[in-house]
Amino acid sequence: MRGTLIYIGQRLVLIVFTVLVVSFGVFFIVHLLPGNAFVSDRVHGQALQILLHEYGLDQPIPVQYWNWLTGIVLHGSLGVSLYIRGLPITPLVLRELSVSAMLGGAALIITIGLGVTFGVLAAVRQNSWVDYLLTTIAVIGYSVPSFVIASLGILIFGQWLNNLTNGVIYYPEPWTGTYGTLAELSVPAIALGFYTSGQITRITRAAMLDVIQQDYIRTARAKGLVDRVVVLRHALRNALVPVTSILGPTVISIIVGSVVIENIFGIPGLGKEFVESIFQHDYNVTVGVFTIYAVLIGVANLGVDLIYTVIDPRIRY
Amino acid sequence: MPGETLGLVGESGCGKSVTALSILGLVQRPGRIVGGKILFKGEDLVRMPVDELRDIRGRDIAMIFQDPLSSLNPVLKVGFQIDEAMQAHDKIPKDQIERRGVDLLKEVRVPDAARRANDYPHQFSGGMRQRAMIAMGLSNRPEILIADEPTTALDVTVQAQILELLRDLNEATGTSIMLITHNLGVVAGLCKRVIVMYAGEIVEQGPVEQIFESPQHPYTWSLLRSIPRIDADRRERLRSIEGLPPDLIQLPPGCKFSPRCPYRIERCFRDDPQLKEVAPSQEAACWVTMKRAYAEMGAATITDTRPGAASGVRPPKGVAAKVVDARTIDAAEGPVR
Ligand SMILES: Nc1ncnc2c1ncn2[C@@H]1O[C@H](COP(=O)(O)OP(=O)(O)OP(=O)(O)O)[C@@H](O)[C@H]1O
Ligand code: SF4
Ligand SMILES: [Mg+2]
Repeated sequence: MRGTLIYIGQRLVLIVFTVLVVSFGVFFIVHLLPGNAFVSDRVHGQALQILLHEYGLDQPIPVQYWNWLTGIVLHGSLGVSLYIRGLPITPLVLRELSVSAMLGGAALIITIGLGVTFGVLAAVRQNSWVDYLLTTIAVIGYSVPSFVIASLGILIFGQWLNNLTNGVIYYPEPWTGTYGTLAELSVPAIALGFYTSGQITRITRAAMLDVIQQDYIRTARAKGLVDRVVVLRHALRNALVPVTSILGPTVISIIVGSVVIENIFGIPGLGKEFVESIFQHDYNVTVGVFTIYAVLIGVANLGVDLIYTVIDPRIRY
Repeated sequence: MPGETLGLVGESGCGKSVTALSILGLVQRPGRIVGGKILFKGEDLVRMPVDELRDIRGRDIAMIFQDPLSSLNPVLKVGFQIDEAMQAHDKIPKDQIERRGVDLLKEVRVPDAARRANDYPHQFSGGMRQRAMIAMGLSNRPEILIADEPTTALDVTVQAQILELLRDLNEATGTSIMLITHNLGVVAGLCKRVIVMYAGEIVEQGPVEQIFESPQHPYTWSLLRSIPRIDADRRERLRSIEGLPPDLIQLPPGCKFSPRCPYRIERCFRDDPQLKEVAPSQEAACWVTMKRAYAEMGAATITDTRPGAASGVRPPKGVAAKVVDARTIDAAEGPVR
């Protein structure tokens, strides 16, 4: 137990370090991009200098970074928007984070739920039509890019079945605070989770087929346990160990995918904001969102490592 | 027979494990039982529907295996795995299961049983894991416990302890034990009756002392000669059996042991001998039997155990190709599969 706490502490330190490096990198890059936040205003000369000075953009980049960092640490503030001048972005970003988290969470549940279920079914019915069907779906899942599936989803549910779905995947702009009902989330979440679910199906199936050959499964049968218990309690519990190992990459896939999906469906989450902020040279938003992604990925990987210890008692930190 | 101890002996690869697994219908795909009968209380287990067979597994006939580490589920607590065997059947009242689980661990001499029940298999030593397997096997008070080489994976001192434990439990609980092993010494220590298998078939069976005293099948005889003995004459070399057991998929015609048998006669290559009574309650499947081998071929003094050495019979033409002995294969084709 103590060992685990120390381990968590070490990992948190590592996450902080990674986030610092990543955020500085991004900060540096976005400030080097040609153009600036005030291009569209057509301000030049003296007026531009005044604006730049007002937002501290005339200082050397390390200094700007230092100011940005102290703003987060001291005031919990990600700074102000340069596009909508002076608007504090923290509340905005947090709201968008909650939308994205709902989408990503739903996609993760779909991924794991579908992937594991398909994998187990395919394995216990190995070489039957069930196996072939589910394996085919999985292959389609991880070979068709998520934006293709997303476009199909829009076509089917947004256009053809518009009456039926009552425009369920239509997201009014600007945001009115009514996003995130389950029905609204379902199509984009499936589009987002489908790709990774294919990977999980494949790994679950392979792991199950391997585990079913093990001696302890024979022991479980020899005890007189019914097949359901043998498969779920004895085989699946062990098969989840390799499945857990790809949860980290899965979370990353979902985060990256969410940027694409949110833009296709017009979901006002972090991913959409991220892309827009780049075009608008809204430096603080870009860096802020990217930093949040870095934190999410770090924490997700730590979470996966902790799940390991629950699933496999042989692993201790 | 209740309380009996039966040994099933044969070389590695002769089909002992498969025989034991088929009793409970646990032969792995693509393997399957193509024929024969396994009678338990007058019912044929081979033809029994899988639902009924499942009720027998673990409740009436329990089984423990060679490698106790791989036989226990690594992600479940040992105590839970034992309790689970009882929960699968309704022989033990639900409210007694947990206490009985700990009691069983005590019974098989796992120290500090109550605490150890909450451990995972990797926290147990090899001997303790096998004790836990035995506890699991006995948890439903089965009539028969099949132990497939329960000591092969353990070191010698632990082997002796496990065998002693099995003997004590057999006496205390009246559970019959079917011990599978390739070690006749183990059989001598634990069993009253013994079955000798060769190439998936019974070649000799009878009471242990009788078989040790006067084996009638040349295979049994060779097995006995291959046990190291402390009291043996130093000059007498330990004899291993020449050659390898046959491929069970492609069996030779006639007696399965004929390619390796020192006492074979012409007939052995043609006709497959059936089990016959050779002494009171002792049966052997052999055309010659050791009685005759001693009388006619001087088995008492023979030192050459190569195929056909005693009788001088060579395999008939045509059979010869299949009946190569192991050394020839080694030389010609590299290691045998
Ligand atoms: N009755 C049979 N018919 C066909 N093939 C068989 C039969 N019995 C055994 N075999 C084959 O022989 C192989 C070895 O059998 P098995 O594992 O039962 O040997 P064993 O006597 O238990 O050996 P070991 O001492 O190494 O455990 C098996 O893989 C199986 O394919
Ligand atoms: S003497 Fe003949 S029948 Fe007897 S074991 Fe040898 S080969 Fe088989
Ligand atoms: Mg075996």
